[in-house]
This record gives sequence, structure tokens and C-alpha cells, in this order.
Amino acid sequence: MFCFQCEQTSRTDGIAGCHTAKGVCGKDETTADLQDVLIYQLKGLGQYSARLHKLGQLDQAADSFIMYGLFTTLTNVNFNRAVFQELIAEAARIRDRLRDAYEAAAVKAGKVPGQLSGPARFAPADSLPGLLAQAQIASVRAGVEVVGEDVVGLRSLILYGLKGVAAYAHHAEVLGQAREEIYAGIAHALDFLATEPVDINALLEEALALGRLNFTVMEALDAANTGNFGAPVPTAVRTTPVAGKAILVSGHDLRDLHNILEATKDKGINVYTHGEVLPAHGYPKLHAYPHLVGNYGGAWQNQQAEFAAFPGPIVMTSNCLIEPQPSYRNRIFTAGPVGWPGIRHIKNDDYAQVVQAALASPGFAETAPEQTILVGFARDTVLGVAGTVVDAVKSGAIKHFFLIGGCDGAAPGRNYYTDFADHAPKDSVVLTLGCGKYRFNKHDFGTIGGLPRLLDIGQCNDTYSAIQIALALANAFECGVNDLPLSLVVSWFEQKAAAVLLTLLALGVRNVRLGPSLPAFLTPALLNVLVEKFGVLPVTTAEADIAASLNRQAA
Amino acid sequence: MTVTLVTRDEARLAFSCAEGQNVLAAAEAAGLYPPAMCHEGSCGLCQAHVLEGGYEMGPHTASALPAGPGGVLLCRCLPQGDLTVQLPCTDAQVGRHQIPVREAVIEAMGPAGAGAVALTLRLKPDAAAGVGADFVPGQYMELAIPGTDIRRAYSLANLPNWDGRLDFIIRLLPGGAFSTWLGERAAVGDALTVRGPLGHFVLDESSPRPRCLVGGGCGMAPILSMLRHMAEFQDSTPVHLIYGANREDELLTVELDELRATLPQLGVTLSVWHPAPGWAGFTGTAAQALEVHLAEAAESPDIYVCGPPKMLDAVIAVARERAVPEAQIYAERVQS
Repeated sequence: MFCFQCEQTSRTDGIAGCHTAKGVCGKDETTADLQDVLIYQLKGLGQYSARLHKLGQLDQAADSFIMYGLFTTLTNVNFNRAVFQELIAEAARIRDRLRDAYEAAAVKAGKVPGQLSGPARFAPADSLPGLLAQAQIASVRAGVEVVGEDVVGLRSLILYGLKGVAAYAHHAEVLGQAREEIYAGIAHALDFLATEPVDINALLEEALALGRLNFTVMEALDAANTGNFGAPVPTAVRTTPVAGKAILVSGHDLRDLHNILEATKDKGINVYTHGEVLPAHGYPKLHAYPHLVGNYGGAWQNQQAEFAAFPGPIVMTSNCLIEPQPSYRNRIFTAGPVGWPGIRHIKNDDYAQVVQAALASPGFAETAPEQTILVGFARDTVLGVAGTVVDAVKSGAIKHFFLIGGCDGAAPGRNYYTDFADHAPKDSVVLTLGCGKYRFNKHDFGTIGGLPRLLDIGQCNDTYSAIQIALALANAFECGVNDLPLSLVVSWFEQKAAAVLLTLLALGVRNVRLGPSLPAFLTPALLNVLVEKFGVLPVTTAEADIAASLNRQAA
Repeated sequence: MTVTLVTRDEARLAFSCAEGQNVLAAAEAAGLYPPAMCHEGSCGLCQAHVLEGGYEMGPHTASALPAGPGGVLLCRCLPQGDLTVQLPCTDAQVGRHQIPVREAVIEAMGPAGAGAVALTLRLKPDAAAGVGADFVPGQYMELAIPGTDIRRAYSLANLPNWDGRLDFIIRLLPGGAFSTWLGERAAVGDALTVRGPLGHFVLDESSPRPRCLVGGGCGMAPILSMLRHMAEFQDSTPVHLIYGANREDELLTVELDELRATLPQLGVTLSVWHPAPGWAGFTGTAAQALEVHLAEAAESPDIYVCGPPKMLDAVIAVARERAVPEAQIYAERVQS
């Protein structure tokens, strides 16, 4: 096993990366190795799919499988070895199908089909020991002694960015936004990685192309969410319990939440959001369900204590699962790409067992005094008051905007983001998205120019909304995004953040402060490129970085 | 050495810690589960501050360590004497193995073959626990004889469920207190107190190795629960069942055909030590059947064995002779 895809990767013995029998996230060596094999196969599927797209054809089921397969390998998504054995067998079958389709399409187009090499020809072993013996070829560090650390680092940046793209694209797809452009883009990136590229400039260009693809994907996801559930509006969300039976929904998937709300309608069960599902309350068509009563708990890393204390079943709809403790193993369910051995998995949107578990569980005995937080400041809402915002900036009431967004995590260094938000000057607006917000979203930020000083844009999945807000402000002030009194303070944890970073770089957004630590897969030389060429700034202390942000504006 | 954890709401949780044991391992051994993830000094979730006492820190990621004097990670903190540690969480956020005590009624009882009784209990709804039966396949419950303090432990044969159903297979021992009550006085509708779930005899579902499940007598109850669990989850791990008895008529009626239908990879050896003429299965003890299985196995399996003491000892001896690592042997004793 070798894995360095997330921020918390092991750095204990001088090696940056998890390389023992178990990763920091709890993923065991067998599962990690099988995931490497699956990724290797998906590159092979990408080789055929990319060529098929170029011939004007597509196998949508295969492209969907590729996205789903990539999604299962994100941090804190699927820990179930058996699932990967099945996915590997399925990938082999789909590869054969794609190969036949490609060869037929080429002949039909009057061309001689190319004989592909590398992952396209890979034959997975039919036993677990056999697969594990093959894992070496699929390791992210395969060939490092020949190509060097920089090449491995850039390939990893693209692969991890691609995983993030696939996760966003999967969320969009299940809500009806299936686009050929996205399927083709993902297949192209896999095909590129399958060539084992070594040219640094070509790798950098491909990384930026992936950032542009991700912008399209995030636009599709925004269209999927708002198209199905309406544009978010400012909404007060209850953060204290209501007496009665209860279900907790965590992860990111709004479709799953919607299905759970339907399955629990008129059953006397209250539904609570957890973690990144919080922004769901802002969507009119989800808010309309009276039994979507509130938000429970905080960010993902606190789930063990929070789930243990929750008096009902819990559904994990996407990433952010950590090892379920015995006290709630029998009442936690996974859905979609998520999995853990011995934990019940929802199939075919059938929530009957979850309902049964909710009715059999005690629920909350008492209603606690009401406390609320505000969500729903997505692009439509913020742009709707753009005039007020622009006037407040021109009058000097608002001096600066800070976007403090991204993932949360357990590392003590993440207090930086709490300090940053708390110490941002009173004449600044704090925009936030992602679960990093839980560090400060229950603090009192007051109001500014008639607006709340803390504006919650949504999930990490809503970065498109944040970018639209920035572009609209730049338009109003007739300047570029980099000239706005705006500082981006990004906390990263997993691979969706890599995708977002590539998008920001591709859009030419500079001066992104990135922390709490920098990706282990980026070598000093690559970090230097990010700093010199793209203006990425490693975080220092909240105090110094706030001062530097304000000075940059003054300069 | 004694370690005292002080929570944010000033609860004091004391437990003993052995030489060379880290604070987190000692807490978990004492049934206390402060938030923790990697257990390897990397993730930073188990951060805390030592208020008093000497300690050493094992290998860890420097950035995971909390700021301030006494900042430690519980999973890497080795006490050098009595230690008092401030936790960043509240008492309610420290997970615990609280063992529920609940009321149940006898819903059904009947012969299970070979002098054993199949007993089904239904849990009464409970304000804290709800109506469900929450346990991990392989665990057991303590059943109290009504009106007495006498408790006996029996493994659960069914699956955790939300109907509050508990299935047991209980061998009636001549003169045994619980057996006498069950055989002579108990009736459908009687209420009794149950305490559990208890026990650590559960599947290691993250293990990549094949499994060999060995059951003898009423030791088949937890083995059945494990197999039913694998069937429910369509677990594709290679698995072989060895079910042993002294005589054919001691084999309980179990739904082997149904299990084979849902677990196509399931191999079964029925081993009878002293069979009647015409016995088509394996002739010999469960331990001898295991010896044959291990000799043919391509890799060393995880072995789960539950049965009477003599059978258990013989099976473990065979596993050791065949160089199955100790960490791959899971054993649970039942009364013969």
C-alpha cells in the first residue's frame, strides 16, 4: 500500500504517505491495493472510451461506471474490499465491451483500429492474492525511479483532481445532468494518464485542462441542484433537536436526501442534516418538507461522538465516512459509492430498513430550546443584493471580502481557519462554503450594510456559485477577479479540493491561501511552480495572513 | 499506573494503564472511547493536554500535536506514572460500552434436536434503547432466571433486527439451574431480564483471508449468526463450515441448504465422531476435520471456533500445529 491522496496522510517516519498495513483514514492495505488496481483498469476504459468519443460514439453506461469507480476511491468513501473485487470484475467486462465497440466503430469509419497498450490490455487476476500481486504495477509511485518525483507528483495531481471531477460529475449525473462533454473530458484525462506522460509542461497543461473541465462539471452540478430543487434562498436552520423519531442524513447527495424525505413522509419521523448536507435547507423544494427539521452536529471528523449520541439511524450518502463504532454499527447505512464491511448498504433507493430502524429507535425525548443558523447565500441571493453590496463597498462600509472555504479535518492546525474568521476585521464580509464552516458558523458575526457578515454559500460542491459571485463583483467594479478586495483562504482535505484548486488556477485566480498543510504529492519544485506561476500562498498564521490580505489591497 | 481523563464538563474518568501501553489503548480496554481515528499518531483527532504527570510520546506527526504545554495525542502518549489528562470533548462525547439490561418475554420455545431447546425472546420497548435487538453476530446475552440473581450466558443465533427478536439454542444440562427452569417451569409469555450484548467473538470483516467456522453442539448458535450475517450481506469471502458432533443425532437442524443458496462459496464438513453405519459425512472429530481442511487450504484462514472446552482445545491445537498465527484464531467456549 502507498497512498498520499489526502491532507492527513501519514508523515510519521520521514515518508510522506500512508505505507503500512492501514492508512490514517482507516483504509486497510488490501482495500487500498485493490483501489489502485481499479484505477489502473479505469485508465484502460478511458483509453477506449476516449477513442469512441472521437469517433462520435459513446457508451454512457461505461462512462457512468468510470465516474462511479473513481468516486469510490476518494478519501472516506468506500472501505469495503469485497466491493472492489466486484468492481474490478465489472471493469474487466466493460473494458471488453468498449474494446469491441471501439474496433467496430473504427472499421465502420473506414479506419484501422489501433492496438492499444498499457492499462487497456490489463487482465486482472481472478483471485484476491493474484490481484494483490498485480497491485504494484498500479501504484501511484510506479516507475518513480525512472521518471522522478516531479512527474509522479504531477500525475498524482491530475489523478486526484480527476477523482474530484468524477465525484462532482456523479452528483450532477444522478440529478439528470449527464453531458457528453464531461464524459469525454474524463475519458481524455484517463487516456492521457494511461500514456504514462513524463513531459512536465504537458502534464501542467493537462492539469489546467482538467481545471477547466471541472468548471463545466461544477456548472452542471449547480444546474442539477437548482434545476431540481430551486435556487437556494436565505433560510434559518434549527440546530437543536425536536422531540420524536429521527433520521440523520450525512454526505453531500441531495437526491438521496430527497428520496429519504419522500420515504419518511407522514411517518412521524423527523429528518436532520449532518455535515455537508446542511445547505440542503436553503433549497425551496427540500425546505418545503415539514419533517426536514434541522441540522445536527458538526463536521465529519466529529461523527463518532455525534452518531453515537444520535437516537436514530444515520445514512451516509457520499464521502466523509470514518470507522463506525460498535454503538451505532447496526443503525448506520451507506448509499451510492460509500461502503464499509459489515455495514448495511442501501440498494435501489429502498429506504424501508432505514424507516424501520428509525421507528424502532428511541428518537429524541425532548424538544430543546430553538437555536438557528442562516444558510442559502448562493449566487442568486448574493447577486440579488449586488447593488447593496457594491454601494457598501463604494461607501467604505465593506472594505474586504474573505472567502474562507473548504474541508474540515482533525488536525489542530485547522484552528487557523477559526482564528481567521473570528479575527477578520468588522468591516469585512466572510463568505464560506464546505464543512470547514463548522469551525465558526455558530459564532456571532453581526451584520454589515444591512447584510449578515457571514454568508454561507453552500457545500464544497457549490464552488461554481462562489466563482459566479466573484465574477459578478468583478463585473460590477469593472475589474478582474484578482483586483477585487477579495482573498481566498482555502482548507483542503481530499480530492475534490484538488479539482477546485485546478479550476481556480485555470481561471487565473491568484493569491489563493492553501492549508493547513500542502499536498504531500507535490514536490518542492512543483510547489515552487504553484507559488511562482500561479500565486498560490501557503498559510502562515491567521493574524499575519489577514494583515497581508488587507495590505495587498492597499498596495 | 492510573490515568484520569478530565472532560470539558469536568467528569473524571479513571482507569489503569499498563507499562508500555498508550493512554488510548488503556482507555479502550476500560470501555472508554474518546474520539480517535488513525491510532497511529497522524490524524490528530485524539489530541489532549496532560495536566499532571510524566509521559513520553511515541512516533507521531508533529503537525497533529495540539499547541500548548502538555499537548499530546492519546494514541502515542505513554504514561511514566499516574497521569491526569484534559480532553477537548464532553463526557457525553466519550463513547462507552454501556451494557443494556432489558426486559423480554418468551415468544416461542421448542425442541431443536439432541436435547436442545430453541428459545425465542421478544424484547420489550425501552425508552433508551427503542424496540430493536442491537448486537453483532457472534455476541451473547446473559439471561436471568425470573425471581433470582442466577444468570447464564447464551450466544445469539439470529441477526440483529428492529423487531426485538432474540433467538437462542440452549442445551438442557441435567441438574443445571437455567436448564431446569427452562425445561420444567418456563412458559411462553413469561418475562425475564436480559443483559447484553456481550463478547468479542465477532467476525473480522476487514480481513482479506478466507474463513473457517468451526461449531460444536450449541456452539453452532453464534456460528449460524455469522453465516446468516454473511448471507444477508452477500459477503463473497471464501468460507468453510465444520460442524462437529459425537453422534449424528446430536447435530442440530440447521438451514444448510438455504445458506448454501445465498453463499455459493460456502463449503461444509459435517463431522461425526462415532457415526452409525452408512454415515456419508466426515468421520472423526471437528479438530480432525479442521486438520484435513487446513492441509488442503491454499492459504491460512481466519478460524472462528465455538464449542465445548475439549473440542475448543483440540481445534486450537490443530490450528497451532498447522502454523495458523494466533491473531487468526478466534475462540468462544460454551458449556458442554
